[in-house]
Amino acid sequence: MVDTTKNTRLFTTYGVSTSRAINPNMAAKMISKAKRPLLVVGAGVLNPELLDRAVAIAQKANLPIAATGSSLPGFVDKDVDANYINLHQLGFYLTDPDWPGLDGKGNYDTIIVLAFKRYYINQVLSGTRNFSKVKAISIDRNYIQNATMSFGNLSKEDHYAALDELIGYL
Amino acid sequence: MSKLTTGSFSIEDLQSVQITIENIVGAAKEAADEKEAGPMGPSPFPGLETYRDDWNLKLLDRYEPVVTPMCDQCCYCTYGPCDLSNNKRGACGIDQLGHNGREFFLRVITGTACHAAHGRHLLDHLIDTFGEDLPLDLGDSNVLTPNVTIATGLRPKTLGEIKPAMEFVEEQLTQLLATIHAGQESAEIDYDSKALFSGSLDHVGMEISDVVQIAAYDFPKGDPEAPLVEIGMGTIDKEKPFLCVIGHNVAGVTYMMDYMEDHELTDKMEIAGLCCTAIDLTRYKEADRRPPYAKVIGSMSKELKVIRSGMPDVIVVDEQCVRGDVVAEAQKLKIPVIASNAKIMYGLPNRDEQDVDATIEELKSGAIPGAVILDYEKLGEISVRLTEEMHEIRKAEGFRDIPSDEELKAWVDKCADCGACYGACPIELDIPEAMKFAKEGDYSYLENLHDACIGCRRCEQVCRKDIPILSVIEKASQKLIAEERGWMRAGRGQVTDAEIRAEGLNLVMGTTPGIIAIIGCPNYIDGSKDVYYIAEEFLKRNYIVVVTGCGAMDIGMYKDEDGKTLYERFPGGFECGGLANIGSCVSNAHITGAAEKVAAIFAQRTLEGNLAEIADYTLTRVGACGLAWGAFSQKASSIGTGCNILGVPAVLGAHSSKYRRALIAKNYDESKWKVYDARNGNEMLIPPAPEFLLTTAETWQEALPMMAKACIRPSDNNMGRSIKLTHWMELHQKYLGERPKDWWKFVRSEADIPLAKRAELMKILEAEHGWEIDWKRKKIISGPKIKFDVSAQPTNLKRLCKEV
Repeated sequence: MVDTTKNTRLFTTYGVSTSRAINPNMAAKMISKAKRPLLVVGAGVLNPELLDRAVAIAQKANLPIAATGSSLPGFVDKDVDANYINLHQLGFYLTDPDWPGLDGKGNYDTIIVLAFKRYYINQVLSGTRNFSKVKAISIDRNYIQNATMSFGNLSKEDHYAALDELIGYL
Repeated sequence: MSKLTTGSFSIEDLQSVQITIENIVGAAKEAADEKEAGPMGPSPFPGLETYRDDWNLKLLDRYEPVVTPMCDQCCYCTYGPCDLSNNKRGACGIDQLGHNGREFFLRVITGTACHAAHGRHLLDHLIDTFGEDLPLDLGDSNVLTPNVTIATGLRPKTLGEIKPAMEFVEEQLTQLLATIHAGQESAEIDYDSKALFSGSLDHVGMEISDVVQIAAYDFPKGDPEAPLVEIGMGTIDKEKPFLCVIGHNVAGVTYMMDYMEDHELTDKMEIAGLCCTAIDLTRYKEADRRPPYAKVIGSMSKELKVIRSGMPDVIVVDEQCVRGDVVAEAQKLKIPVIASNAKIMYGLPNRDEQDVDATIEELKSGAIPGAVILDYEKLGEISVRLTEEMHEIRKAEGFRDIPSDEELKAWVDKCADCGACYGACPIELDIPEAMKFAKEGDYSYLENLHDACIGCRRCEQVCRKDIPILSVIEKASQKLIAEERGWMRAGRGQVTDAEIRAEGLNLVMGTTPGIIAIIGCPNYIDGSKDVYYIAEEFLKRNYIVVVTGCGAMDIGMYKDEDGKTLYERFPGGFECGGLANIGSCVSNAHITGAAEKVAAIFAQRTLEGNLAEIADYTLTRVGACGLAWGAFSQKASSIGTGCNILGVPAVLGAHSSKYRRALIAKNYDESKWKVYDARNGNEMLIPPAPEFLLTTAETWQEALPMMAKACIRPSDNNMGRSIKLTHWMELHQKYLGERPKDWWKFVRSEADIPLAKRAELMKILEAEHGWEIDWKRKKIISGPKIKFDVSAQPTNLKRLCKEV
C-alpha cells in the first residue's frame, strides 16, 4: 500500500512559519547554552505572581534584564541588573551587530521574553526573526509565533507552574 | 492676445449670453509661476522625486526604517505566493524589506486618498452650493493654508482658488499608486521616501477638507472659547427619537440639522454622532457660539455598542471608519440604515429618484433594511421624519428595550469556559475569567471589560455556545454606560497667527516645554482613560496640548474629583497649559500647520514651495510630539507620516506595531547626531533627541517620558533645556521608577541642569562621568561634548548654510 499521507510539505510557505513549542526543561537548556542572554520583560510583570518569578529567573541564571514599557519600577528594589529600554527600539537594536547592548559589552545572542501583550511581542519579534540571528525564547502565557521557541497557550495557573519548573531547571 | 481667466463675462451686442469659464487647463502651474514675484522655495508642485535627495533620505539616514513583517509571504501577483522570510526575494525579485516597505506605503497612500477624496467631495459640493467666490474666512489670520502653500506656493483666498491644490494632490496620488504595481519600485528606502511624500500630501488634503467646511459651514474660526458639547452614551435622552450618524463627512448631516431647525425639532429629538462626523456636526454654525444641541457619542469602538443599546431609531452613515456590519446589526433591532455617501453603499437599493413619502413608507415597513440616498435635500427630510416615525414603531415592538437581568444570567450560564473568546480578542481581554465570576453572581469583572472592549465582536464569532458576548458585557455595564456623560469643547479650527506670535519664541527657546498633539483612533492597549492621564499630566506641566478626532472625544469622558472634565479645567487656547480641541481628523492639518506657522510667522521663513526648509526648522527648533495612542486606520498612518516628514515625531500605542514600519534612530551612533551651523556650514553635534519619528510604546506610563524627551531640540536655550530636562527626568522617575540613565548627554553647561537638583546632578557628572566642576563658581569646566552657542543656527540642509 502506498502511504499517500506521508509528505505534505507545501510548495510554498503560507502565512508565517511557526516557532517550536517547548517545555520548561528545553527553555532552561537554551538559556544556559546562551553566550550573551538577555531577559526581556514587559509591563505585565507588575503582576506580583510574574514579578517574583522573573526576579528568580534573572537571579538564578544570572541574566541582565531589559525592563520594557513601565516594568522597571518592579525591579528597582530587587537585586537584579535591570535597565529600561523601549521594546520597539530594543527589537531594532537587536538587529544591529554594532549595538553596544545595555551594558556596553555588545549585542545579545539570545533573548528570553516574558509578560507581554502577545500581539506586541509577536510583531516586534518578526523583525528580529527575519533580519537578525538573535534567538528568541518566549516563556509567556501565549504561544508566540515569531519567537524561535515558545511555550504554548497556557492558563494563568499552568503558566505560573511552568515558570516554577523552569526556575527549578536553571 | 489677451489671456482668458476663470469667471463670467458677457459679449457685447449679444443679448442674454453669458459665458462662464470654470477651469483652464494648466492654470494651477501658471498661477504658481505668476507667484515668482514673491519669495518661492525650490519645490513648488513637487513630484515623487522632489523631496527625496534634498530631505527624505537625510531624515531616513538618522531615523531608520524598522520593518516588522506581518507575514512571511507575498501574494501580490500571480508569480506567487512567495516565501520572503529572512529577507529572501520573491519570484518578481522584490525582497522582504521592499515588500513590507510597499505594504506600509500602501497604507499611507490609502489614508491620503481617504482625506483627499473627502476634501474633493466637500470642495465640489460646497462650490455647487455656495459658489467659487466664497471667501476662506477662517478667523483672524493671514496664513490660512500653510500646507497648501508649502506644497504649491499658492495662497488661496476663496473656494475656487483651492482647486489647483486639490488637483495637484490627486495627480500625485495617481503617480504614487502606480508605484505599487508589481515590477515597479522595489527598494524599501524609496517606498519610505514616497510614503513621506504621501504624508505631506495628506496634510494638504486634510487642510483643504477642513478649511472649506470651516468657511462654508460657519464652524468656529480659531476660537479658543468654542462652546462645550455633551459627549457620551449617557447623554442621549432615551425618551426622544434618536437619529444616529456615523462617519467622517458632515456634508449630508448639515441638511438633517437644517431640517430639524426649520421644523423646530431640535429639542424634540436627539441627533448625535460617532467618529468625526460627530465632531464636525457639533461645529456646524457654531462660529457665534450658539448653544449646541447636537451631541457626540464617542469613537468608532462605540458603534456596535450603541446599536446594541437599541437607542438609535435611524442610522445614517457617510464615509471612513464605519463598521462593515452596521446593516446586519441594525436590522436585528429594526433600525433602518441610510447610506449617504457613494463610498459606502452596503449593497442597499438607491432611492434618490423615489418620492420622499414612498421611501419613508418602504423603510418603515421593513421591506428593505435601508437605502442609499445621495440627494441631500431628500436625505435631510427622510432621515429626520423617519426617525420620528420609527421611534414609535420600535418602542411599541420592544426594540428599544435592553436585555433583562434574566436573559443576562441565562447567557452567562451557557458559558463552557473553553477560552476561545480570550484567544480571539484583539485586546486580549480575560473574558473567561469575567464569565466565571459572573456565574458566581459577581458581574464587576464583566463591567471592567466595557471600557477596554473595542466592540468588534470577534469573541461572539468563535463562541461555541453562541453567547452574544458583547451584549453580555454591555448589559453588565448598564449602570456605567448611563453615567457616561462628559464635555468636549467643539473643534476650534486653526491656531491663529496671533497665538503663534505669542508662543513662537517660547517654543523655539524651549521655555514652553513642547506641543503635545493627541490624535487618532480608539484601538487602545487598555481602554480610553490612558489618553486622559497623558493629557492631564502634560497640561499640569504647562505643555500646549492640542487634540483632534477620537482622542479629543475620549479625554472629555473623564472627570476629576470635582466632577470637571479637562475641557472645563483648562483653557482652549494654543498656550502654555492650554487644551485646544482643533477638531476632527482632517483638522490634524492645523497641527502641522501650527508648527509650520512658527517657522513662517516667528522666523519669517518662506512657506511657498519650501517643505524641506520648513521641516528642517521644525525638527531642529520646534519641540512637538504627537500621540496616536489608539491608531488603527490607514488614515492614522498617513497623518503620522505627514507629521514625520515635517519633522514632528509621534508615539503610537502597541497595536500600531502592526503597521509594520517604524522610524527609530540609533541613539548610540554618534555619527547620526550632527547638523550644520547655518552661519558658517560647520558641523555641530546635537543631543540624541528626538530618538524616533514613529514608534510604539507599551503603556501610557512609558509614553509620558518618551514624549517629554522627544520635545528636546538643539535650539533650546539654557532655560528651555533645563525646563525640558526637568519634565522628562521627573516623568521618568515618577513612571519608570528611576532617573533616566542618559540625562547627562543633554547637558551643555550647568545652566541646562534642572534647577531644583543642580548641585546633586553636578556631583553625579563629576563622580560618574568624569566632568570637571569648579565648585566655587558652580560651573562646569569640561565634560560636555556639545557646546551651547545661543546664536547657532542648526540645520540638516547644507544648502542653507552661508559660505558653502
